[in-house]
Amino acid sequence: MLIEMKNIRKSFGSNNVLKDVSFTLSGGEICALLGENGAGKSTLMNILGGVHQMDDGTIALDGNQVQFSTPAQSQEAGIAFIHQELNLINDLPIYENMFLGRELITKRGSLDLERMIRETEDVFQQMNVNLNPKTMVHDLDASYKQIVEICRAMMMKASIIIMDEPTTSLTDQEIERVFTMMRTLKDNNVGIIFISHKLNEVLQVCEKFIVLRDGQLVEEGMVSEVTTDDLARFMVGYDVRTEPLLREKRVGSEVLRVEGLTYKHTFRNIDFSIREGEILGVTGLLGDGRSELFQVIFGAEKMSSGKIFLNGKEVILKSTTQAINHGIAYLPRNRKENGIIKDMNIFENASIVTWPKFSKRGVIQTQQHEANFEKQRQALRIKMGKLTDSINSLSGGNQQKVVLAKWLSAGPKLLILDNPTQGVDVGAKEDIYDIILQLAEENIAVVVLSSEGQEIIRICDRALVMYHGVIQGEVAGEEMNLQNIMSLATGGQLTR
Amino acid sequence: METEVVKSNKNFFSWFRAKWTDVPLFSIGIAFLIMVILQTLVLGFDYDSVGSWFQSWLNNWINILRNNAGIGIIALGMTLVIMTGGIDLAVGSTLVMTGAFAMILLDTGTRGILGILGMTGFPAFVVTIILVVLAGYLLGSLIGLSITKGKVPPFIVTLGAMMIFRSVTQHFMQGYNPKVPMEFLQIASFKIGNYMIMPIIYWAIITYILYFVSKRTTFGRQIIAVGSNERAAKLSGVNVEKVKLRVYALMGLLVSIAALIQVSRIGSMDFSNAGRGMEMDAIAAAVVGGTSMMGGRGFIMGTVFGMLIIAVMNNLLNLFGVPPFLREAFKGIIVIGAVLLQRKEKAS
Repeated sequence: MLIEMKNIRKSFGSNNVLKDVSFTLSGGEICALLGENGAGKSTLMNILGGVHQMDDGTIALDGNQVQFSTPAQSQEAGIAFIHQELNLINDLPIYENMFLGRELITKRGSLDLERMIRETEDVFQQMNVNLNPKTMVHDLDASYKQIVEICRAMMMKASIIIMDEPTTSLTDQEIERVFTMMRTLKDNNVGIIFISHKLNEVLQVCEKFIVLRDGQLVEEGMVSEVTTDDLARFMVGYDVRTEPLLREKRVGSEVLRVEGLTYKHTFRNIDFSIREGEILGVTGLLGDGRSELFQVIFGAEKMSSGKIFLNGKEVILKSTTQAINHGIAYLPRNRKENGIIKDMNIFENASIVTWPKFSKRGVIQTQQHEANFEKQRQALRIKMGKLTDSINSLSGGNQQKVVLAKWLSAGPKLLILDNPTQGVDVGAKEDIYDIILQLAEENIAVVVLSSEGQEIIRICDRALVMYHGVIQGEVAGEEMNLQNIMSLATGGQLTR
Repeated sequence: METEVVKSNKNFFSWFRAKWTDVPLFSIGIAFLIMVILQTLVLGFDYDSVGSWFQSWLNNWINILRNNAGIGIIALGMTLVIMTGGIDLAVGSTLVMTGAFAMILLDTGTRGILGILGMTGFPAFVVTIILVVLAGYLLGSLIGLSITKGKVPPFIVTLGAMMIFRSVTQHFMQGYNPKVPMEFLQIASFKIGNYMIMPIIYWAIITYILYFVSKRTTFGRQIIAVGSNERAAKLSGVNVEKVKLRVYALMGLLVSIAALIQVSRIGSMDFSNAGRGMEMDAIAAAVVGGTSMMGGRGFIMGTVFGMLIIAVMNNLLNLFGVPPFLREAFKGIIVIGAVLLQRKEKAS
């Protein structure tokens, strides 16, 4: 199968999202679609997937011109679109999800459960997936949901699969599994369009790449001829740094120390401490318990046992409100679910934490607050319209900066950042790194939780590596390299 | 020339459309305006006797507003409850319970509690108001606690409370008919320049307070945060349980005020029927006013207009002579129609 998109144009209102983009893909090819947030990647793919209609241009499959006005038409033509927000129904078992909308039915008109289960098992076997089809989807973690979606596309005999940032929430092991699957698909002559911000992965798994910037195709070529630095440069239009960001380290007194912290079955016997002006990385694979650990420290969950010391004094945190009053800030992972409040505007999202601080007898003092936010906006270089615009009007990177702004306006002494660059484009990522270094400079203790080893190495002074709820080891300086981190994260020991 | 007219028309249309979908009060306000114009026409505007026309128009309006003051106050509380993503089905029963409590306290017969304690007249009224409002607050808190500490869904808790409160009230008030002192009725029927508008004033004051609370206070904004994204609100340091608890307590308090207004208007209460269906009317007013049942979105002023739209429509149906059994159907049409009209275009 050969797919050709020619001279595609699309605008939303006065916003020209795609300006004359052409692109081809044949079966058995894996092509990376790169670009910053807002470059037009999603729009281009939504046109191919029948979600949006193009204003101008042509799409041809094997030379025959086609037009998709609904996602169903696109699917029928053999194009499967695996969205970032997965299309699975949590309260149904896997096999019913696999057959959603085209359920198998017995002669008597009832659901043919046996056949659906059997066919699901067949696909799983073919794809080398070890899952019970009867498992409820809500019992799966994000990575397995992704895998189920890929299997569903396979079952529908898709000849082109579009994957929109499939690896964002996956661990390295699981990413490898997805890649193996992609290579199998490729051998079966399936064409794959791979959208990702992780350039290393692009080098690993893709052959071709195209780069969009401001709605135009700015580069295309073979992956074997470029480096990640090249790709990053194509995306933003200028050189991007990747080396560790060295800085003069001046650490002060201890801010946080935990002893023997345990929470249900998620983590146990955690001991560590962090000082003023220090950037501590915490990394590991998915399900290592690091997010939960810091949610407990932030008072969002109640610990089972252990002690937390702030500035040398033991504290018991029963609520997030208390934690904030103690100077702790926590930027959560998964911005959409935990970070932003979609019914509130930019300003309110940026000020929710400090409402109590900037209010007199419960009445919010808006002026003072706006002045404060204006300062944050400039410091964080947030690109936005009016204060009262919807938070959804911002790009991912700017949303993340707004979430960061709400914490910085609280003036924290301990700042916990959980996956701070998740779903953030290259340019904004650099901005966020700069901000983190700046904050450490201002004597704030910063904890960075990340599953990207590269990120930890770039900005952290030292890093704790977790494995199944325990701290498997600590790395710093020369020892802090990808190899060591990976070995600890998978349960190994440091090789000295 | 002509093309320009067409263009400006188009501009007006798109402006109108944008306002309609983006500014909730815009659509509600226009709907209300149409209702009022219709009503004015039906009342028969007459140039020759503007004075008497205005008199009957005004009387009609005062009637509408006064009759809806109690439920109007409850609808405001309901709006806040729905904004947190919850619901309160127990308002009617809470009204009966707090109303009965007020009457027991005030009873001029041998069983009146304050009478037994030797308290009469003005001091007795003040004590009654304080105790009844406190009782409403406590009943609301009880509901709130079951929801926050007990982790039972609001629908279930308030469904249960609805049954419990009314049943208990009916049992204890069996064969007991307290008499409310005439002076107490002044609370609602005190006349200002020949107009009985005290309930309207209470409604207006409470509307203003709640409008301010929802727009400008930490509590008001936290209600939206909790309703829109509870997890994110919690992780932003909002004490979600406290916000919810306070919303239900406030709801109870507002219901008790409505109960006091009702008792002081009529001087009695039918414990088996008073307040029945009130929860649905309050929800309807909130929904017509643009409140989202999913939580996170709601407007105090919208609810006031929503209440008035329903009330004016009832008044119109009455003036048109529509059979009473059919009126509920019109209410249903308004509720569904309002949500249809306010529905946003699918975001692209």
